[in-house]
Amino acid sequence: MMIKKLIEKIEGEAELDFTLQKGIVEDVRIRFGFYRGIEEILVGKAPRDALVITPRVCGICNHAHLLAAVSALENGYENAGIAVALSSKARYIREFTLACELIQNHMKWFYMTILPQLERLTQSENGENHALKASYLSGVITKALAIFAGQWPHSSYAVPGGVTCDPTYIDVMQAATLVDESIRFFEQVVIGMALEEYMQIDAVGNLHEVKGDLGNVLYLLGTHGIAEYGKSHDRFIAFAEGLGMQSGKSIATTVSKIDVRYVQEWVQEKSMAKAVSYKDRMYETGPLARAMVNKIPIIKSLHKRYKDAVLTRVFARVHEGVMLLSYAKEVLQKLDLSEPSCTLESRLLADTFEGTGVVEAARGSLIHKIKVEDKKISHYDIIVPTQWNLSAGTDQEKGVAIKAMIGAKSMEEASFLFRTFDVCSVCTTQ
Amino acid sequence: MKNKQHSKPRLLWLQSISCNGNAHSFLNHPDLFSILSHFELVYHPILETKHTLQDILKCETECDILIIEGSLKEKGLMKAGVEVSSVIKHYASIATHIISAGTCATFGGMFKQYDPEHITGFCFDGEVQTTRYEQYAQKLISLPGCPIHPKWLGFVLMMIVQNRPIAKDSLHRPLELYAPTVHTGCARNEYFEWKVDTEGFGLKEGCLFYELGCQGPYTHGSCNKILWNDISSKTIAGTPCFGCTEPDFPKTTLFETETRMGIPATMPLGIPRRAYLTVTGVVKSFRIKRFEERLISYDD
Amino acid sequence: MKIADKKALKRESIIQTALQLFSTNGFHKTTIPDIAAKLGMSVGNLYNYFSSKDLLAQEIIRYTSEVLGEKIKEVNMLDVSAEEKVHKIVEIYFSMAKEKPEMIEYFLRVYLSNREVFSDGCEGMVCVSGFITEIMIFFDDAVSSGELRNQDFFSAFGLFMGYLGGMVFLKGEGVLPKDIACYIDDISRNIYYALKA
Ligand code: SF4
Ligand code: SF4
Repeated sequence: MMIKKLIEKIEGEAELDFTLQKGIVEDVRIRFGFYRGIEEILVGKAPRDALVITPRVCGICNHAHLLAAVSALENGYENAGIAVALSSKARYIREFTLACELIQNHMKWFYMTILPQLERLTQSENGENHALKASYLSGVITKALAIFAGQWPHSSYAVPGGVTCDPTYIDVMQAATLVDESIRFFEQVVIGMALEEYMQIDAVGNLHEVKGDLGNVLYLLGTHGIAEYGKSHDRFIAFAEGLGMQSGKSIATTVSKIDVRYVQEWVQEKSMAKAVSYKDRMYETGPLARAMVNKIPIIKSLHKRYKDAVLTRVFARVHEGVMLLSYAKEVLQKLDLSEPSCTLESRLLADTFEGTGVVEAARGSLIHKIKVEDKKISHYDIIVPTQWNLSAGTDQEKGVAIKAMIGAKSMEEASFLFRTFDVCSVCTTQ
Repeated sequence: MKNKQHSKPRLLWLQSISCNGNAHSFLNHPDLFSILSHFELVYHPILETKHTLQDILKCETECDILIIEGSLKEKGLMKAGVEVSSVIKHYASIATHIISAGTCATFGGMFKQYDPEHITGFCFDGEVQTTRYEQYAQKLISLPGCPIHPKWLGFVLMMIVQNRPIAKDSLHRPLELYAPTVHTGCARNEYFEWKVDTEGFGLKEGCLFYELGCQGPYTHGSCNKILWNDISSKTIAGTPCFGCTEPDFPKTTLFETETRMGIPATMPLGIPRRAYLTVTGVVKSFRIKRFEERLISYDD
Repeated sequence: MKIADKKALKRESIIQTALQLFSTNGFHKTTIPDIAAKLGMSVGNLYNYFSSKDLLAQEIIRYTSEVLGEKIKEVNMLDVSAEEKVHKIVEIYFSMAKEKPEMIEYFLRVYLSNREVFSDGCEGMVCVSGFITEIMIFFDDAVSSGELRNQDFFSAFGLFMGYLGGMVFLKGEGVLPKDIACYIDDISRNIYYALKA
C-alpha cells in the first residue's frame, strides 16, 4: 500500500510516499517540490554577489552559506595566484559567528521540532510553550552574531580576505555576555546542570545525570522504546575543518581522510533535490557525523551501545550545541583586535578562476563551487547537507534517512525519525 | 461568515517561493509571544498552530490578517497537489489586512530573477502593479526587506490590533518605517558629510558610498534607526547596504559603487546632481586630520 | 536703485578692475591703493568691500569660476551630442581667452602660481567649484550616454583642461602663429577622440 504524506515545518515542506506492509514501513520516497534556481540566478553576476545571493538559499542556515561562498571565492583567488592570508582575528570572528548560527539552529530544532513531535508521538504533551524557549535562545545568540555580522538572518559581512566589521573590546565583551547568557539558559533549562559537570559526562552510564529538557527527551526516547530506532548505514562524513573539529569520514571504528573531489552529484527522478554520494556510497552528515569523526567520548560511548540510532543522533545535536558554546567563548578570548579585519584590498579581484568552499553547517557539510570567467560567474554549484541525508540512494543502497525509516511501525514514527535528521527543505531545493 | 464574537484577529502566515528568512527573522523578536498573544495564530510555517498546512490548503479556514512570505508564481508552485497562488488569493480575499512580508512577497525579490516573467510579488512586479493590485490594494501593507525586520512587522501587527491608521507611500510601505533612508542614523554619517571614503573593508572609519557600493542614501528603511537584532546594522558592521527593501533588489556588483568619471551613478534620494557635486567639490577640498586617522589604535 | 543693488554693482566693478591689474601687473606688484585709484574711490571705502588683498583675490577666482560655470551649464542643458558639447566648451574657453583675456590670465598666472594666497579659504576646489561642478556634470552625462569612456575624473579633467590651459598660455606668450579661434575645430576633435568610449 502506498500513502502520501505531507511533512511540514521542516524549513518548508517535503512529501513522503510511504510503502507500507501490514503497517510497517517498507520503503519511502522523498520528494521536494519546487526548485528556486539560485545556481542559475548567480550566473552572469559579479563573483562577490554570491555573498549576498547565496545566504538567501536558506533562512535558518544563511550564515553557513555566506561562509561557504566566501571560502569558495578565496579558494578561487588562491588558484588564480592571489594569496589570501586571513588574519587570525578574521578567522576567529568567522568561527564565532558560525558557531552562533549552529547553536541557534540546534535549539530551534530541539524545541520546535523534536520536543513537540516526540511529546505528540508518545502522548505526553503538557502544553508547555517550547517555542518560547527556542525564540529566546535564538534571539540571544543571534544578537551575539550580529555584533560582528551586522544582522541575522542574511548577513554578508564575510568578504575575500576577512570580515567587514571592526569590533571594539566593548563589542567583544558584549558578545561574551550574550554567550554567558546562553550558557545560563543551557544550564537551567536544557541540561539542568552546571556546564562543567555536564562536560564530565563521557559514558552512557552517566547520562541519567542530565536533567532539564534534554533529560526529558532522553527519558521519553528510552521509556517508549524509540531510542534504538532509526539506524542507518552507520557511515559518517564531515568535509570541513573548523569550530575545533577535524574533517574526515568514519566507518565502524576507523576515521580516515577525505577529498571533496570524490563527491558526486546527480539529478533524481521526481524530486527537485539532487542526490550526492562519496565514492558511490551514502554517508550521513551533521552533528552526529562530526562527533564520530572527532571521536567525542560521550557520543562514541552512545554509539557503542545504540549505533547510529535516534538516541545517538538526537543527543549528538544538542551536545554539539553545548560544545559550541564553550568553543565560542574560547574564540572570543583569543581575539586580538590589533590585527587587521581584512587583508585583501577591496579592488583586488581575480578575473577568471575556479574555487571550492566547504563549511560545516548546522546540518552537515555544505559545499559551494564557483567558476568565474571574465569577471562573471559562469557556473555555481551548491551541495547542501540535506542532500546527503535525504537522497534516494543508489542502485546498491538506500539513502541515509530512508534506511533509517524502513521498519518503522507507523508513518508517524517514520516521520519522527525523518525529522531527527533536521531536514531543511529550502536548502535542498535551492 | 465571520464570527462576530471572535475577540482576537485570526492571523494566517502563508509561504510561497521563499527561503524562510522572514519567518526566522520574526522569530527573533524579543516580544514575539507578547505580540502573538493578541492574535489567534491560524497557521505559521515554523510555530506550532492549531491547523495543519493540509487544513489550510482546503481553503476552509477563517482569517483576518494574512501574512504572505515569498514571491508568487501563478502556476506551478504546488503544495500537496494544490496551487499555492490560488490558496493565497483565497485568503487574501477574505482577510481584512494583507501584509506582504519581505521583498519577495512585495516585489518579487531575488527569486524573481530565476523566471522574471512569471515570478512576481503579490501586488507588485518590481515597482509595477500586478493584475492582483486592483482587487487587494486597499488592504495591502508592504513590508519589504530581505529579510523583513522583526520589529517592523511587530509594529505593524500592533498598529492593526490597536486600529491605528497606517500612512503609506505609493508602494504601500508604512511611512513611519520607510520614509527615512537607511543612511539615516548610520554610524558613518560624519564621513559621508565630509566625503571621506573608507580605505577598505574591515574599518570602522570612512563611508561606504563612494567605492564599496553602499546604497543607504537611496534605500528606504529604518535599519540604522531600529537596529538589527537590537544591536547593529550592515553599515555599522562595515557591510554596504544592498538596497534590499527596494523593488529592484538585488542588483549586481553589489560591493562596488558604479561611478561615471569617478562620480557615483546614483545620487542620494532626491538630491539633484548639481547640488550634490557642488557640495562634494567644496567639502572634498578640505583635509580634516581627524578623519584621516584611526579612531582607536590597539597596536602598541 | 536699491542700496543693496548699488553695493553689488560696486563689488563687481572692484573685482573687474582688480582682475585687470592683477593679471597685467602681477599679483604682488598690485596694491590696494592702486586698485582704489583706478576706480576713483578711497582706500578706506574699498576696505569696506574687501578686508584684504588675499580675500579680494579669492573672490575674483570664485567670480571667474562662476562666470565660466554658468556658460558651461548652458551647454550642459542643450540636447546635443557629447562631441558637440566638447566643441562648445572649447569655444567658450577660447572666446573668453580672447574677449576677456584677463580672466584666463588671472586663472593661469595668479591662481595657479600664487597658491599660498588661496590656501586659507580657497582650499582645493572650493573657489572653483562653480566651474568644476559643471565639468563633472558634462562628464557624467557623456559617460552615462555611452559617448565617453568611463575613467577617473582627474585623468579626463587633466587632459581636457591641461590642453586648453596650454593653448591659452601659448597665446599669452605670443607664440601662436594664428588666431586662437582657428584651433577650435582641431582641438575639440582631439579632445573628443582622446576621451571617446
Ligand atoms: S525576501 Fe529575502 S528573506 Fe524573505 S523569502 Fe525572499 S529571499 Fe528570503
Ligand atoms: S556607509 Fe552608507 S549608510 Fe552609512 S553613511 Fe555611508 S552612505 Fe550612508
